[in-house]
Amino acid sequence: MSSTTVPSSSGAPGSADASAVRRNSKRPKYSKFTQQELPACKPILTPRWVISAFMLVSIVFIPIGVASLFASHDVVEIVYRYDLDCIPASNRSNRADKVQYIQTPGDKTCNKSLTVPKRMKPPIYVYYQLDNFYQNHRRYVKSRSDQQLRDASSEGEVSDCKPEDMLSNGSYIVPCGLIAWSLFNDTYSFSINSAQVNVNKKGISWKSDREHKFGKDVYPKNFQSGGLIGGAKLNSSIPLSEQEDLIVWMRTAALPTFRKLYGKIEHDLEENQVIQVSLGNNYNTYSFNGKKKLVLSTTSWLGGKNDFLGIAYLTVGGLCFFLAMAFTIVYLVKPRQLGDPSYLSWNRNPGWH
Amino acid sequence: MFLNLALGCASVICCRSSPKQKALVTRLVKSGTGKVTLAIGDGANDVGMLQEADIGVGISGAEGMQAVMASDIAIAQFRYLERLLLVHGHWCYRRISMMICYFFFKNITFGFSLFLYEAHAAFSAQPAYNDWFLSLYNVFFSSLPVVALGVFDQDVSAGLCLEFPQLYQEGVQNRLFRWGRIIGWMFNGFSSGAIIFFLCTIALEHQAFNSNGHVAGRDIFGATMYTCVVWVVNLQMALTTRYFTVIQHIVIWGSIIYWYLFCLVYGAMPPTLSTTAYKLLIEALAPSPAFWVVTLFVTICSVIPYFTYLVIQMEFFPMYNQRIQWIEHQARLIDDRLR
Repeated sequence: MSSTTVPSSSGAPGSADASAVRRNSKRPKYSKFTQQELPACKPILTPRWVISAFMLVSIVFIPIGVASLFASHDVVEIVYRYDLDCIPASNRSNRADKVQYIQTPGDKTCNKSLTVPKRMKPPIYVYYQLDNFYQNHRRYVKSRSDQQLRDASSEGEVSDCKPEDMLSNGSYIVPCGLIAWSLFNDTYSFSINSAQVNVNKKGISWKSDREHKFGKDVYPKNFQSGGLIGGAKLNSSIPLSEQEDLIVWMRTAALPTFRKLYGKIEHDLEENQVIQVSLGNNYNTYSFNGKKKLVLSTTSWLGGKNDFLGIAYLTVGGLCFFLAMAFTIVYLVKPRQLGDPSYLSWNRNPGWH
Repeated sequence: MFLNLALGCASVICCRSSPKQKALVTRLVKSGTGKVTLAIGDGANDVGMLQEADIGVGISGAEGMQAVMASDIAIAQFRYLERLLLVHGHWCYRRISMMICYFFFKNITFGFSLFLYEAHAAFSAQPAYNDWFLSLYNVFFSSLPVVALGVFDQDVSAGLCLEFPQLYQEGVQNRLFRWGRIIGWMFNGFSSGAIIFFLCTIALEHQAFNSNGHVAGRDIFGATMYTCVVWVVNLQMALTTRYFTVIQHIVIWGSIIYWYLFCLVYGAMPPTLSTTAYKLLIEALAPSPAFWVVTLFVTICSVIPYFTYLVIQMEFFPMYNQRIQWIEHQARLIDDRLR
């Protein structure tokens, strides 16, 4: 590619000098911009550029793919689906039974054990994963009041929160809306060899949420006190900026299958260790055929476990390399014939493709 | 019968016509053949004809400004008509066709990615992107390059346009705005939107987004997808543009940089204004390598199919103006070597 200045019009025959003097007074001022003669690059897809482009892509992509795949393989993940296992056998037959079980009050703790497949280095993140839960539904996403969450004096800004906006006696619900109302309330506690494993529940939300979107002087009020209880209850003496489970829940998920951070385990888990998990199976996902899973996962520089990125990078890098080779062969075997300019004559029948 | 006879001739001379007759002849040709007619004249007696024709070109000068005032385009001398048609007519046809096709493409890419998201949001009309991102897409992040294409693009230089008048046939035969091309660009838009959406969804599934264990919620997912859309439409523009001046560089790369700047500025506004985009870029997106890795991958993946198509077309099925571009390129190489 080289920069070129477009030559000025060759259509005008040499202007007679006498008339040029007369015409100059009316001719508009010349500028490269108005005459469309700005210096320009006119890239053209020559074989050199095509092959270099494909080779560049493959040279960049293949190492990134390898690094991503290694990062993903380094991550150790334990996923355990417990919503079916944690219902006693007598209630498992159909959906109505399951719903009835989950809605009757009482202790719903269930004890299971998990085996660590490979050594996990701290911090180990504990997530709960929900399937078929549409946190991205428009009516659901709308049902919150950001002003109320931020500011104690804006308690009355509940217009979008119906039906969870106020009680029948007119006092406002804080935090209002369906998102807060449906707060996840399963609990997990872990022990290894009867020694309790500490799960750190501080710092699980995004810092900007804690500090700027949830007020330090806003306390829950009238929460879950209506007839229908949708999820967890909140301690009304703790301000919202410290209710990290609520903050994590209220950052709505993108897709119907999502994970949310529950806590962090700050020490090692050795290979083949057996962890006893005590799950509090309180949340009703049975009404809508949702699934609940407990996830323990380490992270790498790239995040969690997902082989797709690594494999995809390698695939596309390989494909581009193959295309580069293919085009090299094509250009060598069948080089471009420079077109015969007489083909482009004025009188030619315009029947070209 | 007169019309059939006239159409059979290479050229027809009507002399001693009154203005009314000139207009009537033009109307006869226009309605009889259904083709686009152009009339050129310089005097007050040509006004009727100029207004009757589809395109009226007035010549300003010796006989006054009457013709100019009634015309669509005014030129100073009759011989400038050649340049008007072969250079400017050719360029304008190309610019307008490319601009319209590209407009469809960029909006389909944007809209289709949103539509696919709806399929995963229970069709509840929840957009994947923040409100202001949606509103400003067509204003700031993808519009200036199209305007620059529509105003400045030149596929072949002016001199070569005059030397190869055959290029003008491209417009006469409507080569660039056939249904095939329009649907091709639309298909490009659909496939780009689909590639962007599905790759982003699978890459940013439910696992942690960064090494601090946080997951990618709707705001992060939406912003990543939007970044990919902005990159893809601007890169496609860069591949389509044949004539890179300083202006093209500024608007294309500027639109992309402007998106990042906008994210920064909008994110710095208090949460009352920026809602879900508050501190999105600085806190969540920029420090996470996953964001950059995913954006790079999705962008290049979306552009590779179109690039391959261009390469194959340029090499094996070059269009008329592309053959001339090859000739121009060869001539330039020879020039450089001789210098």
